[in-house]
This record gives sequence, structure tokens and C-alpha cells, in this order.
Amino acid sequence: MAELSYREAVRDALTSAMRQDDDVFVMGEDIAEMGGSMGVTQGMVDEFGPERVRNTPISEMALAGAAIGAAIQGMRPVAEIMYEDFLTLATEQIVNQAAKHRYMSGGQVTVPVTFRTQGGSGWSPGAQHAQQLEAWFVHIPGLKVVFASTPTDVRGLLWSAIYDDNPVVFFEHRTLYGVKEEVPEELEPIPIGKARVHREGEDVTVIATGRLVHEALAAAEQAAESGVSVEVVDPRTLQPLDEDALIASVKKTNRCVVAHEAVTRMGFGAEVAAVIQYGAFDWLDAPVERVGAKFTPLPFAPIMEEWCVPHANDVLAAINRTVGRNGN
Amino acid sequence: MATEIKLPRLGQGMEAGTIVKWLKSEGERVAKGEPLYELDTDKVTQEVEADASGVLLKIAVAEGEVPVGQTIAVIGEQGEEVSVPSPEPEQKRAADEEADSSGEKPARAPAREDERERGRQASTDGATELRGPSRANGRIKASPLARRIARERGIDLADVAGTGPDGRVVAEDVERAAASGPPVAAPPPPPEAVPQEVVVEQLTSMRKTIARRLTEAWQAPVFQLGVEVDMERAQAVRSKLVELHGEGAKPTLSDLLTKVCAAALMRHRALNALYRGDAIELHPTANVGIAVAIPNGLVVPVIQSAERLSVAEIANARAALVERARGGSLQQGDLDGGTFTISNLGMFGIQRFVAVLNPPQAAILAVGSVEDKVVAVSGRAAVRPRLELTLTCDHRAVDGAAGAQFLTTVKQFLEEPGLAL
Repeated sequence: MAELSYREAVRDALTSAMRQDDDVFVMGEDIAEMGGSMGVTQGMVDEFGPERVRNTPISEMALAGAAIGAAIQGMRPVAEIMYEDFLTLATEQIVNQAAKHRYMSGGQVTVPVTFRTQGGSGWSPGAQHAQQLEAWFVHIPGLKVVFASTPTDVRGLLWSAIYDDNPVVFFEHRTLYGVKEEVPEELEPIPIGKARVHREGEDVTVIATGRLVHEALAAAEQAAESGVSVEVVDPRTLQPLDEDALIASVKKTNRCVVAHEAVTRMGFGAEVAAVIQYGAFDWLDAPVERVGAKFTPLPFAPIMEEWCVPHANDVLAAINRTVGRNGN
Repeated sequence: MATEIKLPRLGQGMEAGTIVKWLKSEGERVAKGEPLYELDTDKVTQEVEADASGVLLKIAVAEGEVPVGQTIAVIGEQGEEVSVPSPEPEQKRAADEEADSSGEKPARAPAREDERERGRQASTDGATELRGPSRANGRIKASPLARRIARERGIDLADVAGTGPDGRVVAEDVERAAASGPPVAAPPPPPEAVPQEVVVEQLTSMRKTIARRLTEAWQAPVFQLGVEVDMERAQAVRSKLVELHGEGAKPTLSDLLTKVCAAALMRHRALNALYRGDAIELHPTANVGIAVAIPNGLVVPVIQSAERLSVAEIANARAALVERARGGSLQQGDLDGGTFTISNLGMFGIQRFVAVLNPPQAAILAVGSVEDKVVAVSGRAAVRPRLELTLTCDHRAVDGAAGAQFLTTVKQFLEEPGLAL
């Protein structure tokens, strides 16, 4: 077993794939010598050279389009979009091109591209550098969407994303890069479309993604002190969604909280809530609770940012509501 | 101006009626007083007349049970806009069913939402308001899981106190109720296993009424008194009456009994009584009900003020009532106001039987068949026509001595009919 940070785990997945397979390469803004704005690709240019660790112009649309073209030509590119806020600039390429070519060519063309990106609050980056936009892409048929929350998961899932023959939008969270974890010595691919039960419980299921997985685990710890047993499940892949695992968990606990950092309104949690109410209707003993950010552009002021996005105490309050307690 | 046609109260105690069919269709012109629809009440099926003229704009309840006062149709002028409150037919039927969880729904639920419909009706039943869970607009708040458990275990959510937010019934509440409550019948097995020879007949409105009223009657503390009556003179009187009856109905022994009982009731008013729970009503006229078997049940039309009628008049009244009863055209007035009932099974050869009380009446007389028997007459054996009478009395209203005196009078009147004058 080795201990890796989330950042190192991402790098390990990229490096392992590139060592194994010449078709895999990475591209993005300032990812070579600088090692990327989050330091994920640090040192990789030394091993693989500027052909396979490519700096691109500051144009998300251009770099996304180039990556899609390379993928259609048979490569397995991993394009880094520095902030997921900037996915908006590449949306034409991702939504109208990458997601469509396999379908529109009748399967003659595949687009095995991976768009790695990161975002999230917690370090006061302001309204344009901390959004959580995963729901935008979950809505697009033709794309797969992954949001990994731990070093083990990010390594195994990124590997699977690279080797998936469909375009994958791969979300990382800014504040998780420093999170460390013992990971298997050998990289173990994690199949796309499989949820992970982080903690088993009897009374409430918290379905959380990204940073909120950790907040949910903290909330579960606190809830346990007052005798409420919380199950924490991370779908890990948002598209395709492991509905069976989520429904099975809620059928066991009869209560459900969905939690993510993105704003609640029209968030990924809304879809999960719909899946749960349909799949586990007769097992629900309380309304499905949603936890997410307040519906506002993210404030720059740290105290305001903190107030807008959800934390463990918000998850705990939702847990307590589902079990009928007026919690703290 | 459109007129809303509401379900009328056709008799005391009528709470609901079942619309059997409409005799006019929507869009058809109707004159006031024309038969508009057929109504099946507790006691009778009858045609109900339109109380306004115009065009039948809307039939709000095509068929089924409706509470008194509910709008069932609208009569107005061609082209008039009508809006009818959503009907809730057969509202009472499902009071023991669980309530539903849905929100607002269209005025008429499609049939496939049967369960939801029943649940909604259950929650609007006033009787369940006395205790139980939180409800908004008459709906029981309960989680889907609580509903499922309640459904599976046959628990009425109306009986479960909710401890969730805003009093919502949650699974734990149902489980607690299941553990502490009275044993609950398992849900009825699915009907497919019914063997071929079993014919399942849903209870008609009349059978339901019979069941309800006789079950109620069974709660009364009753006693029975029996006498055997020599019918020689009564038969002779009857033969004479038959000879003289002319164009009217042929008098029967039952008619003679009606007359005799009416006369006896006037002498023993304690028997001409209705038991009202907190009071006993002693009635001034003998309104004698006669139990009439009809193909789908039993009705008890009433001969009003029988004490004032001659036997011939009683025969005519009786013949008309029986004909209407068998033809299904009894009016509510034919059935109201009875103070005493005679049930005669003599024509079937039954020698004696015990009749079940017809509440709120305090007494009912069961009449057997006239049989030739060997009896002692003036110290010698003689063959005489004999009749057994069995009087059932509600002991809350009538005591043994009063019943005995009445029955003795009946016996005397039959044995010497002149005494009834």
C-alpha cells in the first residue's frame, strides 16, 4: 500500500496510462513546465516530453476541439480545462461535437477523449472560479460524467475514463487535491457506473458527491453520537448513474439526503431525488432532503462563501430532518 | 339561471341513495315533474321527478351512492356554463381503507386510481376525525413507507397517531400501532381462488340496509311470548268477508290479523311504541308494517292507521302495497311511520318461528300456519284449526306483563272476532 494525495493519484493514473500506451497524451493550459495551475501534471513533461504533455493556447474551445479531433483519429487524449467554469467556453465542442459524433456517424467514429477539470469553493476564488457545473453535462446524452472524491477513486476512475471509448467529463474538486489516502500498490481500474458505499448505516442514506462526500462522512460521525446511523454513498459516476445501488440503500434505510456543493436548484441532487422517489417510493419514510449551495453567484468574501456553500452541519441538519428531529 | 339538482331526502333517516340510472341524457329537454332518474334508497327503488324545467346540462353522478344534498345534475338553458363540484360517489364505502398521499387531483379520478380514490374518500369520512393522525384538508399525512406497512398489515391509518414532522405518520408509528392495537384481520385473500360453485353477490343497497338494521336489532334485549289460538271463528269471519268482498281485494287471514292487532294495539299502547334510546314513543295510531318477501330482499310496507280501517279496506291497502313492493315501485311514504310489524310465514307451512325486531319498533309478531290439531274442548278431544303466534318484544321498551296482555287480547279477538269491534 502506498499513501497518495488526490493530486498524486490523478498524476499516477495519467502517468501509468501514458507509460503503458503511446496513444494517451495530455494537453492543457500551462500543464507542461508549470505543471498545471493545480500542480497535477508537475514533472510529467520531464518524463514524456512536450509532444505528449502539450501546452495549448489560452482557448478552451480550441484545445477541446483539438482533443476531440485527436480522439476521432484514434488517440486517447486527456484535455485539462483549468477551471470547470471555463467549460462554458468549450461547451460547443463538448456538447455539440464530442457527445454527438459516435451517434451521428452510426458508430463509425468514436471519441475516446477525457476532459479533466476542477472547481469548487473553499479558498475564496470568487464567482467565476469555483462553480460546480457537473449537472450541465449530466444532462447531455453522449457524455459520461465522473466526479471522484477520494485518491483511490480518482485514480481508478480516471484510468477507466481514459480507456472508455466515449467522451468523459471528469470532475475533480480543488479542495480535495491535498487529501491523502492509502491506495492499492497497483492501480486498480474502477468501472464507470458503480457507486461506492463509504459507510454503512441503518437510518438514513446520504448520497453525496465530491467534497460533500467528506462532509457527509463527518456529519455521519456526529449523527452516530446521537444514535442516528447514517449510510454514505458516493455514486462517483454521475452518468451513467448506479441507480440500483442508490435505491437499494434507501430501501434499507427508508430515508434519503442528497448532498453536493453545486446549487440545489436543478442540481444533480434533483435527479437523484427523482430516481429515489420513483424507485423506492413505498420505502420512503420521509421526504428526500436536498443539500446544496444557496442560489447565488459565489461571493468572494470568505465568510460569505462559507455561508453559501454546504458543510457537514448542513448535511447533519438534513439528516435530522429526515428522522424527525429538530437537530442543531 | 341553471338549477342544481341535489339528491333529495326522501324519508326520515335517509342519508344517502344510490343512483341506478338516468332516464334522461345530457342535452335532453326535461319538464318539471317528469321522471328524471331512478334512485335506490335504503328501503325502495323509485323514480325521482325533475324539480325544474329546461335542458339537462350536466349529469354529475352517473350512478353510485351519493349523500343526501349532493349536486347530481344541473338543469338550465341550452349553452349555459355549468360548474359542478367534484362528486364523490360511494363516499362511505371505504371508511376503513387507508388514505392516500397524492396532492390535488382532477375532479373525476380515472378508474385505475381506485385505491387512491378510496383512500381519499376514507380521509374525508367525518367519523375518523375524532382521533388519529394529522390531516390537511381532510387528508391523512403519512409517509409512503408508513402507507405500505399499513396496507400490508390491514391497519387503518386513521387510527394511528403520527409523531413525524407536522404529525406525519411514519413507519414507526404504524409498527407501534400494529404492536399495541387490537388484532387486525389480515387483508382479504385475492379472489381468484373462488371455486366455481360459489356465486359472489355484492350486497345491494337493500341487503346492506337489511344487514345493518338487523344487526342493530340483534343488540336489543328481547324476549318472546307464544300463544296458540283457536282459529275456527276467525276462519268463519274470513270466509264471510271473502264472500262479500265484491270488487275489492280478497281479504286474507293476514288482513284479519292486521285488523285484530291494530285493535289490540289501541288497547295496549305500550306495544305500539318506538324505542328511541333516551325515550319511548307511544304512538296514537296503529301503523302496521307487513313484511313482504320480494325477489332481492324484504320490505315492510306500512298500513297506516289500521285501527280505523275495515278488513276490506286493509285488504285493498295491503294488495296495493304488495303489488308495488313486488313491482319495485314502492314510494318512501309506503315504508315510513310503522309502529308494529307482522311477519307471516304461515303460507310456507311454518308452524312457529321467532321474528327479529324491526327497530325502533318495540315489538313484532311472528305468525305461523293454521293447522288442524287435536285439542281438548270442554273436556273432550276435538279437531280444531290452531295458529301459533310468537311475539318478540324489545325489553327496553316493553315488559313481559304488557306483552302478555297484548298477546292475550290478540288471542281473544281472533277466537271471538266480535270483541275487536
